[in-house]
Amino acid sequence: MHWLFEPGIWSNAAVRTGAGVGVVVATVSALVGLFTVMRSQSFAGHALADVATAGGAGAGLFGFSPLAGFVIGSLLGAGAMEAIGVERVRQRDVATGVVLGGATGLAALFLYLITLSSSSAGSTQSILFGSLFTVSNSSFGVIAVVAAAVCLALAALGRPLLFVSVSPDAARARGVAVRRVALAYTLLMAVTVGLSAIVIGSVLSTALLIGPPAAALRLGRGLWTTLALAVALGVGAVGFGVVASYDSYYWWPSHRALPVSFCVVALVVLELVLVNVVVRTTRRRDAGARV
Amino acid sequence: MALALTLSVSALTLAGCAPTRGPSGAIEVVGAEVQYGDVLAQIGGAYVHVTSIMNNPNTDPHNFGATPGVARSIAAARLIVQNGAGYDSFMNQLEAASANSSRVVISVAALRHQTAAANPHFWYDPATMPMVATALTGDLVRIAPAHAAYFRARETTFLREWRAVTAAVASARAQFAGRRVATTEPVGDYLLSAMGLTIATPFRFQADVMNGIDPSPQDIVTQQRLLTGHAVGALCYNAQVTSPVTQSLVDLAAANHVALVAIYETMPRSLHVQSWMLAEIAAVRDALAHGTSTRSIA
Repeated sequence: MHWLFEPGIWSNAAVRTGAGVGVVVATVSALVGLFTVMRSQSFAGHALADVATAGGAGAGLFGFSPLAGFVIGSLLGAGAMEAIGVERVRQRDVATGVVLGGATGLAALFLYLITLSSSSAGSTQSILFGSLFTVSNSSFGVIAVVAAAVCLALAALGRPLLFVSVSPDAARARGVAVRRVALAYTLLMAVTVGLSAIVIGSVLSTALLIGPPAAALRLGRGLWTTLALAVALGVGAVGFGVVASYDSYYWWPSHRALPVSFCVVALVVLELVLVNVVVRTTRRRDAGARV
Repeated sequence: MALALTLSVSALTLAGCAPTRGPSGAIEVVGAEVQYGDVLAQIGGAYVHVTSIMNNPNTDPHNFGATPGVARSIAAARLIVQNGAGYDSFMNQLEAASANSSRVVISVAALRHQTAAANPHFWYDPATMPMVATALTGDLVRIAPAHAAYFRARETTFLREWRAVTAAVASARAQFAGRRVATTEPVGDYLLSAMGLTIATPFRFQADVMNGIDPSPQDIVTQQRLLTGHAVGALCYNAQVTSPVTQSLVDLAAANHVALVAIYETMPRSLHVQSWMLAEIAAVRDALAHGTSTRSIA
């Protein structure tokens, strides 16, 4: 089992911090992401990730912390999308597309300027694809506080959000402030995408937001079970992704370790595939039993 | 070295200007890196106009992208000295884009028969610059035979001055051979090896930092133990290119009283190649002999 659970793994401070950050962020992403999937806002989530890229690149250029860059960038993107108008699904699509295009262009400019003016090795790589093992202990504290705040806000927003997400028209008829609930949720999603960008990079950050909740929803259980499943799948992907990345150092004689972000995203995709296979075979069996 | 020469027109200031014209009749020459541009200037003297492309010690050369101004300088050049081995591959693309049969390109990697070297920082090898000087003198003589004696005299001066560098390397080798040092990148490895030092940092770690990817946690721990266990006499870090990983190593070395040596990847503009190498050698000597850190040589 040496190749799977290398004994020294938890004595490595960078890995401990990285795994802690990963578990916290995976939990928030799964909780927030469940509503993203239910509300069909995956595309908006991805656009926020692109704005987060611009934010992270801007932070790298001007010497701010990447977390601040990701979160602030993503929040500005959410604000822009709301300002353009996201009330109807069709408008939402256009607004999202416009913000996505503009933000990616800005990210290209910032990343180019970084190569010309700063001396940061590999900022492009770590902004786009994450750098979990270099997260400092002090950032871990900030991430945990932000994550807890998002969870509390989501709990407060939960009931109206669920109502609005399931049937917006009925919610509006009952006097729920649909627009305000949607705005509040988009802001929560923006912060979550920013957090996720720290773990697996801004480009991949929606994988944690969408993947585990989509797999959990596919299993078709009640709300609480689905939330728990989503968290378990997200935490599992990040936890085993960290372990796999660390252990991959020993898999080849060259000691070329696989990037954490690749391992995490590969496990998210694997979970989705496995859940789909399980669901299909059980349905077929059920259908066969009924005949 | 009384060489009052217009060295290096920055790529950025060039963008949007007319193609560079030197003093009338001057040969347009390009050094892809400012350290090669410096040798071109020292030997070409009054008869060349040098443009150095990568000339800013505050940027990461591995991430350099060419601007339109750079393309114009290359199109106008009669002689180009570039590093090769993938360090400045944008040069090949720009040369291909403005094909010119009378232009001569010197690739230092090719001179050294090392076109696929894992460590492309050839200018840190004390054997490289004399080779470059001799090769470019030959080409300058072919381009402007009328000034052959002038170029050859300056080549002789350069080679004579360079002997101070080889002498400093030899005396450091006599004093420190076998001592261990840690590095963040392979930038100065050729010089450190020539001084007889053992580079204790795994090459994989150095290459990861050089290539802008995160080294594995295992390699970072190996590196940290070299510093906390005082298994090395100095940490020779790339002063020009930092990342959270290299910054934390520099801090760790300082906290553990391991001497720091700033290795410059690109020649500081206030120096010449000879004085630059002598300054780096002196910094390593200070670290190993007295435990003194050198965090800036410019």
